Amino acid sequence: MEKIIEIKNLRKCYGNNEVLTDIDMSVEKGEVVTIIGSSGSGKSTLLRCINLLETPTSGQILFKGDNVLDQHYDLPKYRTHLGMVFQQFNLFYNHDVLANCTVGQIKVLKRSPEEAEKVAKENLAKVGMEAFIHAKPKQLSGGQKQRVAIARALCMEPDCLLFDEPTSALDPEMVGEVLDIMKSLAESGLTMIVVTHEMDFARDVSDRVVFMDQGVIAEEGTPEHIFNHPTKERTKEFLKRVLA
Amino acid sequence: MTKQLTKWTFTALLLTLFCTLFPSLTHAANQEEFRIGMEAAYAPFNWTQQTDENGAVQIQGSKEYAGGYDVEIAKIIAKKLNKKLVIIKTEWDGLAPALTSGKIDAIIAGMSPTPERQKTIDFTDVYYKSHLVILTKKGGDYAEATSLADFKHAKITAQLNTFHYSVIDQIPEVAKETPMDNFSAMRVALESGVIDGYVTEKPEALTAEKANSHFKMVEFAKNKGFKTSPDDTAIAIGVKKGSPLRQEINQILGTISDDTQDQIMTTTIDRQPEENKKEIWVLKILKENGGMFLRGAGMTLLLSLVGTVVGTMIGMGIGVFRTLPTPTTAFKKALNKLLNGFFTVYIEIFRSTPMIVQAMVIYYGSAQAFGIDINRTVAALVIVSINTGAYMTEIVRGGIFAVEKGQFEAAEALGMTHRQTMTSVIIPQVVRNILPATGNEFVINIKDTSVLNVIAVSELFFQAKTVAGSNFRFFDTFFVVCVIYFVMTFTVTQLLRRLEKKMDGPDNYIPYGNQMQVQKPEASAKKEG
Ligand SMILES: Nc1ncnc2c1ncn2[C@@H]1O[C@H](COP(=O)(O)OP(=O)(O)O)[C@@H](O)[C@H]1O
Ligand SMILES: [Mg+2]
Repeated sequence: MEKIIEIKNLRKCYGNNEVLTDIDMSVEKGEVVTIIGSSGSGKSTLLRCINLLETPTSGQILFKGDNVLDQHYDLPKYRTHLGMVFQQFNLFYNHDVLANCTVGQIKVLKRSPEEAEKVAKENLAKVGMEAFIHAKPKQLSGGQKQRVAIARALCMEPDCLLFDEPTSALDPEMVGEVLDIMKSLAESGLTMIVVTHEMDFARDVSDRVVFMDQGVIAEEGTPEHIFNHPTKERTKEFLKRVLA
Repeated sequence: MTKQLTKWTFTALLLTLFCTLFPSLTHAANQEEFRIGMEAAYAPFNWTQQTDENGAVQIQGSKEYAGGYDVEIAKIIAKKLNKKLVIIKTEWDGLAPALTSGKIDAIIAGMSPTPERQKTIDFTDVYYKSHLVILTKKGGDYAEATSLADFKHAKITAQLNTFHYSVIDQIPEVAKETPMDNFSAMRVALESGVIDGYVTEKPEALTAEKANSHFKMVEFAKNKGFKTSPDDTAIAIGVKKGSPLRQEINQILGTISDDTQDQIMTTTIDRQPEENKKEIWVLKILKENGGMFLRGAGMTLLLSLVGTVVGTMIGMGIGVFRTLPTPTTAFKKALNKLLNGFFTVYIEIFRSTPMIVQAMVIYYGSAQAFGIDINRTVAALVIVSINTGAYMTEIVRGGIFAVEKGQFEAAEALGMTHRQTMTSVIIPQVVRNILPATGNEFVINIKDTSVLNVIAVSELFFQAKTVAGSNFRFFDTFFVVCVIYFVMTFTVTQLLRRLEKKMDGPDNYIPYGNQMQVQKPEASAKKEG
């Protein structure tokens, strides 16, 4: 299988505070990897290091074999290959739903407005938001916002989508609609890295589960392995707490 | 749609800017001109009127005319010099700087050749000699005074920077008030009872008495009045130090006898604009000066609009510059630092000094130091713009700060460059964030551009001062102007509120699907089927 992302010896420090230590991890094409762990364990930092919203202190990140930390690597281009869905949605407030989905295509991918609009409408249909193309973000519910944010990321036709706790800011009744979309995306073969507290999603949808604790990957494996036969004490404790 | 609109407004603004700039280009120094400066608000020596009646001369860059004793004398001199007379209306305190900086050739403004003034400018021979009187209120405590001693405890003032003010000390136990800027202000003060009288010269007092029936001139007998040096009560023409004009003018003045002078003075006092009591004052003021007020209001709006728009652009430019990621090369780093330092100095200086002072420094300073003669309107536009820019920079900084960090991150995550992030995501939100503060700045500008009257820009307040200076109805005139200011600021505030509402849009959204059911029944039918 082709490796899309390969992380080697990644370290990240904020001042003297080392929040990620010796992370080694790789993601293959079509794989769905979920990252779980208690809050403050470094999950977001890892995700943000992958698309370089944070600059790693040391280590390597290879995208399809090329080191993205190389000085001459085309960073904006790299980011178009990775979509990002945020906990707080981060829809552009000054644009309506359609423009949120077209602005990146037009500005970054240099698509024509007509083409961008066509792609946007297809992806908005995928997330069930085609009826809201002219709504402003503030007119939408949290679940609707997150669906638009997913469509916005999909419009860039990324090789891999990164999700940072996409349902944590939602009211309980809206969590389902977003998870359903993520599930269908996973089934369509999209490569995804998902930081989540939704253990059902991690168990049922992902191919591999990564458990992080205090800045290191404490244990990883299939959902079956992590949820049913964890080997590490820390993993067992964590699962006991969240599944209780 | 909105983009086109902004483009249009921008073009219109540029056009207006050019039109105001153009006259300055066409008014390049013409050898045949004899440019004289006067207040055109010091009757009977000089005043402003609306027509060329009685031989009044048009004021440069204005639709108004100047009349009075000084204008008559200036006409004689210009004729004998074989030059075209150009009258430039200038504030009293601006006269000497205007002369030394070469904006005018001579001051003919009822000015006395005092020793202090002679340090900076030269004076010709005397062209009128008057004596000092006190103007007081008819029927008031001091109306029947005959000697200086009778003004014991009276609140007396005089015009700033004149010898009128220093002679007040000759009145025993007088209550000397702070000096005032101009005669209009003193007449207002006198009429309203803030002062009991002001020291002035006989022609001015006669004029005031004639125009406003509440005033009474108190004259003193030979040795009961103020002791003055002949330099003070005499009135002469000011020219640049060492100017050959002095000789030429002296020769011409030699041909005008004392009798002719008196005769000219008598006729000019008679010709002064008079007040008519029967009409309703508001209507009268509007009828006579409506055009002036309208032009003044127009100028005020132009200054504050251009100032706010350009100032916002300056603020936006500096604000966005400061969000730039730190450059990598040493040269760019140094340049960045230099520019940042420059901006900081600019902001601090313009926020820490009054605009009225900035106006004086920029307008007269540029002429005196570099010999640049900027058109008044252009100077005013520049001053308001950079002054507003200094404030807007801070406002924009707050506006950028208020944009959520997630907006930057989401744009970056889509692969946008810094420039793309700023132009398509951040700046539009900053514009919305700063809109209320910008509107506030606009309203402040409408009011604060009134200080630009010091460089004689014909904005609303300047027009009002001129009107009041010739009709002597101070309360009435300024009341009308007060209403005009209020209408302008109130309208602008309301328009901005609407714009804000429109930009924000409604809080809920009717999904497109619902509209489709109404508009295209066959499409929705297909969907359901
Ligand atoms: N910008 C930052 N500056 C300093 N410390 C940070 C910053 N972002 C995160 N941290 C610290 O890094 C650690 C990991 O944070 P995070 O990756 O957000 O954890 P998680 O997403 O697993 O909850 C925390 O201790 C947090 O306080
Ligand atoms: Mg997190």
